[in-house]
Amino acid sequence: METEMGDWIIGVMMAVFGLIGLFLFGRAADGEMAVFGASLAAFSLIFVFGLIKQNYDRQDVARAQAKDSSHG
Amino acid sequence: MRLSNEFFEKNAIFLLVGTLLTVAIGGIIEIVPLFTIETTVEHVQGMRPYSPLESRGRDIYVREGCYLCHSQQVRALRDEVERYGHYSIAAESMYDHPFQWGSKRIGPDLARVGGKYSSDWQYAHLKNPQELVPESLMPHYAFLADTPLETFDIADRLKAQREVGVPYTDEDIANAAADLRAQADPSADSSKLLARYPKAVVVPGNREPTEMDALVAYLQMLGTLVNFADTNTERLQQ
Amino acid sequence: MAEASVAGAVRPIVYNDAIVKKFIIAAMFWAIVAFLVGVYIATELTWPSFNLGLSFLNFGRLRPVHTSAAIFAFGGSALIGTSFYVVQRTCRASLFGGKALADFVFWGYQFFIVMAALSYVMGYSQSKEYAEPEWHIDLWLTIVWVAYLLVFLGTILKREEPHIYVANWFYLAFIVTVAMLHIVNNLAVPVSLTTAKSYSVYAGVQDALVQWWYGHNAVGFFLTAGFLGMMYYFIPKAANRPVYSYRLSVVHFWTLIFLYIWAGPHHLHWTALPDWTQTLGMAFSIMLWMPSWGGMINGIMTLSGAWDKLRTDPGLRFSVTAVGFYGMSTFEGPVMSVRQVNALSHYTDWTIGHVHSGALGWVAFIVFGAVYYLVPVLWQRKALYSTRLASWHYWIATMGIVLYIVSMWVAGITEGLMWRAYDQYGFLQYSFVESVVAIHPYFVVRLLGGLFFLIGALIMVYNLIQTIISPTTEAPRESAGYPIGAVPAAGE
Repeated sequence: METEMGDWIIGVMMAVFGLIGLFLFGRAADGEMAVFGASLAAFSLIFVFGLIKQNYDRQDVARAQAKDSSHG
Repeated sequence: MRLSNEFFEKNAIFLLVGTLLTVAIGGIIEIVPLFTIETTVEHVQGMRPYSPLESRGRDIYVREGCYLCHSQQVRALRDEVERYGHYSIAAESMYDHPFQWGSKRIGPDLARVGGKYSSDWQYAHLKNPQELVPESLMPHYAFLADTPLETFDIADRLKAQREVGVPYTDEDIANAAADLRAQADPSADSSKLLARYPKAVVVPGNREPTEMDALVAYLQMLGTLVNFADTNTERLQQ
Repeated sequence: MAEASVAGAVRPIVYNDAIVKKFIIAAMFWAIVAFLVGVYIATELTWPSFNLGLSFLNFGRLRPVHTSAAIFAFGGSALIGTSFYVVQRTCRASLFGGKALADFVFWGYQFFIVMAALSYVMGYSQSKEYAEPEWHIDLWLTIVWVAYLLVFLGTILKREEPHIYVANWFYLAFIVTVAMLHIVNNLAVPVSLTTAKSYSVYAGVQDALVQWWYGHNAVGFFLTAGFLGMMYYFIPKAANRPVYSYRLSVVHFWTLIFLYIWAGPHHLHWTALPDWTQTLGMAFSIMLWMPSWGGMINGIMTLSGAWDKLRTDPGLRFSVTAVGFYGMSTFEGPVMSVRQVNALSHYTDWTIGHVHSGALGWVAFIVFGAVYYLVPVLWQRKALYSTRLASWHYWIATMGIVLYIVSMWVAGITEGLMWRAYDQYGFLQYSFVESVVAIHPYFVVRLLGGLFFLIGALIMVYNLIQTIISPTTEAPRESAGYPIGAVPAAGE
């Protein structure tokens, strides 16, 4: 699936949200903002790692398929 | 002229815009006049913004979901007026951001609960409702008495309310912390507080108020501000 | 999916079904959470000691957890998931934006749900019904919702089929109207950018109407238009029949979305809302009965020639019963919108009964019908693990609904009559607390009804899990489509 561009856009967007989350957590004036900021940061981190992992997985699959078809 | 849905069915953008226009109409016609028709919020004497302590109490009422069981709107129905007092007028909630009229009564309406019970009763009832009303379904709110009131941002809270239209003056905001403490401490001088916020009720707390002090201060002024003897039904017409 | 290796051959469309699966699983998970919290707060209302004196477990903080879980977590996940399934197939196009955008919509939405619930329990709420989350969570939801609109609209714009299928009109109306309602109702000024507390830009009577313009249309567009979209795909599909009337679907779509918006004031009868507004709300609520029943007729009559399927397909039974309850609720609603009726019903448990006949009878049942259809299809199983269990679910859940509504009707009318009763001397006959005591037995029955509904849902979850983990019993079905006019490559 050719979704590389989409991955970049969403990835950068999530990274920005992660930073916003960290900022909110750091300057939180109440418990809720602290929880929200930390959660947003964690969520962004995991999501972006997920995007990266899926990209490498796709590359692995494509490489394996290319190898199969060239040997077949 | 053949009216056809095909125009919308074959073009997603037309469908989207057509839908948006269709759903915008009702809201505009019903909501906008409430801001433009002068008599919607009646001209009466007595209404004033919440004092700092009352405002914090209201914030607690809002966040705890009290509106889920208690309404604050006496309807213009005979039995209701007899049970709770004068029917609620729009002016009485004009500074309520957001409104607390409620939509369910698991407990009684509170629109005019101010002064109906003593402050001591209110404290005891909030801590353990069943002790005073055995059949009550209300949860215990004793934890409010054990929680110190956060006061560091009281000026910011009044400023934010001013931004949405509540007429706090610079003097009100400058004296917010002092007024808050004065209203929670019976031994303090409350003359300035009462000058800024007539009919504010000083609650039996101390200089370090708890969340329950704030809530009781709020409850004890509900429905007390407008003197209905001074007005008549003609002036209350919307 | 392997690409066609013959030069010039057409690539099949690869539908994104993974995202639909995620949303279906989420919907069923949140269903259990929503029903469980509902049962717990019903217990608190029946025996208040269950509040345990704990701030984070009391009724005031848990009730929004229940309503948000039911409407947004359960209902919303089901809506987004099915809308992604339906739009891809009726447009013969894969989801716009690819995997990343769809995953963002899913995980972003789940994040919204969890943050909202956590905030209520921690003691943060705007106190606007069905819009309780504070400003920062509202902003996040807006971002996720824009992404959702992009995916859905983008997929429609990519379509190969020239006509937009009726289900998609309803889904689209749901998405854009909810966006309008959400943004306008939640306008607020935060005390500071680093605190959760905010103040609504509206106050008093104006806020009352903005809130109920929103609240009623959360029902009208989130809980009705969106689910009508679901109905318009899954009933014809399961019955293998075309929709009964195209003309009816056109008429009832435009009149429904036009009329619903005006109905908000019926939540504010006899209050300080001006009389002219109340009257408009009442009149339009009564008119609303017609397009609602238009939808009901269209849904039920689609079964023409296939009524026997109701005996054999429990999923379809859920869907059709849902439409029946939809008809009932959309008759009861206009009745309760009449000012004289509302004088009795407002603030009572009749309103709660009405809400749940719609929420359990229409919304939950139409989701169950769609999910019972979708799970075997998505996971490529020949059938559900057990149609018998699905039948049990149907009857237990229906009994639960009946217990719930009837107990609430009786409680509500009892309350209303007691509050307005005068004795022979002309004094109010009952104190408020006497009405509380009088309805206690009905609260016990309501609790039982809710418990039955929860048990039925647990049976469903068991059935679905067994269906999913059982070995694949048939070859991939409907897992890929082709653009219209395309010829599949040799060997595909």
